[in-house]
Amino acid sequence: MFVHLQGSWNPIYGRLSLHEIPFKTQIIQGAFFFVVLTALAVLTAITYYKKWRYLWEEWLTSLDHKKIGVMYIVLGLVMLFRGFIDAVMIRSQQVMAIGPHSAGYLGALHGYLPPYHFDQIYSSHGTIMILFAITPILTGLMAIMVPLQIGARDLAFPYLNALTFYLTAAGAALVMVSLFVGDFSHAGWVGLIPLTELPYSPDVGTDYWMWAVQLSGIGSTLSSVNLIATIIKMRAPGMGWNEVPIFTWTALSTSVIGVTAFPVLSAALFMLAADRYLGTHFFTASFGGDLMFYTDLFWIWGHPEVYFVVLPAFGIISEVIPTFSEKALFGYTSMAVAALAIAGLSWMVWLHHFFTMGAGPGVNLFYGAATMLVGVPTGVKAFNWALTLYRGRLRFDAPMLWCLGAYALLLIGGLSGIMLAMPAVDYSVHNSAFLIAHFHSFMLLITFAAIAGYQFWFPKVFGFYLDDGAGRKAFWFFSAGTLAVFGSLYALGFMGMTRRLDYIPFVQWRPPLIAAEVGIFFYCVASYYLVRQLYVGLRDRKTRPAGADPWATTRSLEWLTWSPVPAYNYPVLPVVHGRDEWAWRREHEYVDRVPDHYFDIVMPKNTSVPLLLGALSFGLGFGLVWRIWWLCAVTIAGILLVVIIRSFDNHTEHTLSAALVAKLDGGEGGLPDAPGSVNPYPSPMPVPFFAKTGAVSRCADRVASTLREGVVAPGPLGKGARR
Amino acid sequence: MPSRDRPRALYGLALICLCLAGCQARSVWLFHPHGAVAAAEFHYTVIDFAIMILIVGPLLVATALIIVRYRKGRNARYDPHFKKSRVLEALMWGVPIATVGVLTYFSYQAVYLADPYDPTAIPRSLAEKSRPPPTAGRTSHFAAYPRSNGTVRHGPQVDVNVITTDWQWVFIYPRTGITTVDRLVVPVDTPVHFRLTSATVVNDFLIPELVGEIDIMPGMRTKLAMIASRPGNYRGYSANFSGGGFSWMGFTTTVVSRRAYRAWTRKAARAPDRMTYAAFDKIAKPTINLAEKPMYFSRTQKGLFDHVIRRVLTGRVYETPLRMTENMTKPLYVKVLH
Ligand code: HEM
Ligand SMILES: [Cu+2]
Repeated sequence: MFVHLQGSWNPIYGRLSLHEIPFKTQIIQGAFFFVVLTALAVLTAITYYKKWRYLWEEWLTSLDHKKIGVMYIVLGLVMLFRGFIDAVMIRSQQVMAIGPHSAGYLGALHGYLPPYHFDQIYSSHGTIMILFAITPILTGLMAIMVPLQIGARDLAFPYLNALTFYLTAAGAALVMVSLFVGDFSHAGWVGLIPLTELPYSPDVGTDYWMWAVQLSGIGSTLSSVNLIATIIKMRAPGMGWNEVPIFTWTALSTSVIGVTAFPVLSAALFMLAADRYLGTHFFTASFGGDLMFYTDLFWIWGHPEVYFVVLPAFGIISEVIPTFSEKALFGYTSMAVAALAIAGLSWMVWLHHFFTMGAGPGVNLFYGAATMLVGVPTGVKAFNWALTLYRGRLRFDAPMLWCLGAYALLLIGGLSGIMLAMPAVDYSVHNSAFLIAHFHSFMLLITFAAIAGYQFWFPKVFGFYLDDGAGRKAFWFFSAGTLAVFGSLYALGFMGMTRRLDYIPFVQWRPPLIAAEVGIFFYCVASYYLVRQLYVGLRDRKTRPAGADPWATTRSLEWLTWSPVPAYNYPVLPVVHGRDEWAWRREHEYVDRVPDHYFDIVMPKNTSVPLLLGALSFGLGFGLVWRIWWLCAVTIAGILLVVIIRSFDNHTEHTLSAALVAKLDGGEGGLPDAPGSVNPYPSPMPVPFFAKTGAVSRCADRVASTLREGVVAPGPLGKGARR
Repeated sequence: MPSRDRPRALYGLALICLCLAGCQARSVWLFHPHGAVAAAEFHYTVIDFAIMILIVGPLLVATALIIVRYRKGRNARYDPHFKKSRVLEALMWGVPIATVGVLTYFSYQAVYLADPYDPTAIPRSLAEKSRPPPTAGRTSHFAAYPRSNGTVRHGPQVDVNVITTDWQWVFIYPRTGITTVDRLVVPVDTPVHFRLTSATVVNDFLIPELVGEIDIMPGMRTKLAMIASRPGNYRGYSANFSGGGFSWMGFTTTVVSRRAYRAWTRKAARAPDRMTYAAFDKIAKPTINLAEKPMYFSRTQKGLFDHVIRRVLTGRVYETPLRMTENMTKPLYVKVLH
């Protein structure tokens, strides 16, 4: 042992003991029973309907980017739910614990959460919402839509895609386990230093936070690599950089941030780990350590990270608004340039997160100006959306409403962001409720956009509509909640309220806190309608099938293929002719083209290796948290072994014969291609998405295929439901 | 902790019309600064907001109008090919860039006025007080940026060394040898110069009505200066989360007349307890001072502030026990002062 540990340790259980399982805390008991009951219900249902095999073969071991994307989103939604519960608890504690005369329950002096629990809850809230809810949902949407938008069969590295998903899931699992075994960090999602050092955080909470974030960070880095490779190398023939759909542009921009910023976080966390496990002094106040070094590194990742999550949201808005305005996006080039500019500028501004550290006026001024500059491309986006609406024919389907909500939040969050960017202003509201309201404006913008994206693309991926009415009701309640909660927090910021307060010392802060609590109620109603929307959609799925183009005025390439999208995405890779390919074909009346040739398609076989690697990483994380060294050794050996074994497997792909593709695609005019021609985009896929299994033969070797020059590539005939 | 009492009716009003009532209420501390530095910060908050709302406001209104007007079925003009315009695109890049230019100029003024180490707002306000301003009201925003003119050094001033512990505030008045805990007493209209450090983790010094934030970091020294323009009690607290007792880590700032300050100094200097490093070491053990009970010490050991920094640099830490604040009603480990 290199460091002094409080509490006991033994070689078998590490720091783990029965004592670490908080039986006695009523709230955790409740959560525990809830989780156990839900898990039991789900497991029983799966067993009863005999879906284990289906689950394993069609989802857990699948390398299909759409299925992995859906799993990403489901994971994100589960974590969103957890994060929301945290939020409800935080708001309720703050509304109960006001003033010296407020009552206390369950071991708290005021309210019902003593600092020990409260601090963990807000830390897990932030960590979960940013890294395990929003990020997976957006990554999922990108994983599904980017290949479709650029006319590829899958991401460049389908196997890597599954692996990054399971790494993220392993991180999320660590966070969830911390609820019942041990505790979570109390030092915020940012890991305030030196609070995260061993003397000030002697328990395992910080370790849980550290390793969970580390795992998901590695996942995000790798998935960014995957997206960049896909977008650069796998665009359909004819798709130059000027034809790339705007969502794909933002995905590219985001991935550039991801691949450059996340390694910084990894490095910072490894150094922190060294401090906590080996007794080094990277970030301690003593012995030459430098705590501002951590703060710098964290925000060098942290600021780009906030743009990492907001850019895909901008992309979604830029897809939805033109569709429901029935016209093309205004200022395509500006939009693409703005996305890249944001990625570039986001690197120059991290210091604005600690203007108050006592840097000189010159330094603060520079970073303040740079921060305002980021607002420029952000503002350009807002202007472009407004001009897209201008002279359109606006329809207010649910996705459009959510996007307009996001638009309003962008303006509000941008305004408060620019206020914070002035150092002298920041001195007075740094770390206050105003700051909380600022970044929640943006985080909720992302949430609004993510919900819009989910509702917009759902019919494409699943082949039936969600219920529009419930979606709109959800929108109105969600907006009301946002207004009540974050309007109040803006006000509280000016009243002087700081963040992370377990106890509210000043009674004059009560009215806005009550208003915020009312907002939470609206959010609850909104969640009910979101669930109902899905439920009604599922119930009526037979009667409300979505065609290839469910919104009738969609524009980009993904709407050209079937809904639900077949495993191989496009029976024949399309050739791109314009910026909005599907709109182009509609205008030129090419929508009824069908392929006259089909080709063999090579796709990767299912594999359980990523799942196994995810499980082993989880084991490693758990071992590290509790300092169970034998577990770490075993899991590391396991990971190496699995990777080595997998590298000897040369039969990772199989081929769908052209005849089969023709049959699946309806058969019209389908002819197998002459053998020997080369497929320029061999992007492999497993069994068809939602299609009957068994139809797929597993052949060994791959046969290539190509497209004929100059032929307008096919779209499905008459399969789009025109509304 | 003593709460500031406000008429009950105000709460109801604020609830109904949060913003309007809020701006009126004196409880919106940032809108009612009582010191030159906080006033400068507020002033630029208003300017910043005004400039931004000039852009955001019209954009919001225009968008709302567009949404109403171009709703499908209203047969407004439909132009699917309106997707490009050199002029508009030049404007949409140009206007924000110009705005950033203007805002940067104001930032530039403000960053010196409110510079924590040497806020020129203080000599400015002193100068304005001593001679009547040439034009009534405030000076032009486009005047040359304010420079420190040295007044601070010459007039009377108070030095305070601040050390934060888990979770209390130790204020050392080096000139008089007084040390107080969780209570800051300063004279009105007099520049107060702080030097700050932490014995444990990072905190942020904040008195919303008097001065903005500055980080307080272990093993390091930051500075802050403020001036209060009106006697009274002002709330100060930490703005940076520092562990379990953070919510109770407040202190009262009492601003008194210069005369009363001298009297207070004389009285406090007779406090029986001496402040030495050993005494400090005891205070710095994790303690939640629930009622914010102040403590007074006299004859403070010379160079205590620097000594604390040195000790932190050479490895002194004040460990927080495991699960310290899990049950606050029967605190097992934590020392709670009622
Ligand atoms: C117009 C563009 C923006 C500007 C000018 C801006 C400005 C700022 C500034 C100056 C701060 C530091 C405030 C402080 O700590 O005192 C800040 C904090 C923050 N911003 Fe923004 N921001 C912008 C956009 C965004 C976006 C797009 C997001 C996220 C999607 C975001 C999320 C955050 C977060 C999470 C924090 C605080 C993190 C924390 O301390 O926990 N901001 N922003
Ligand atoms: Cu930032």
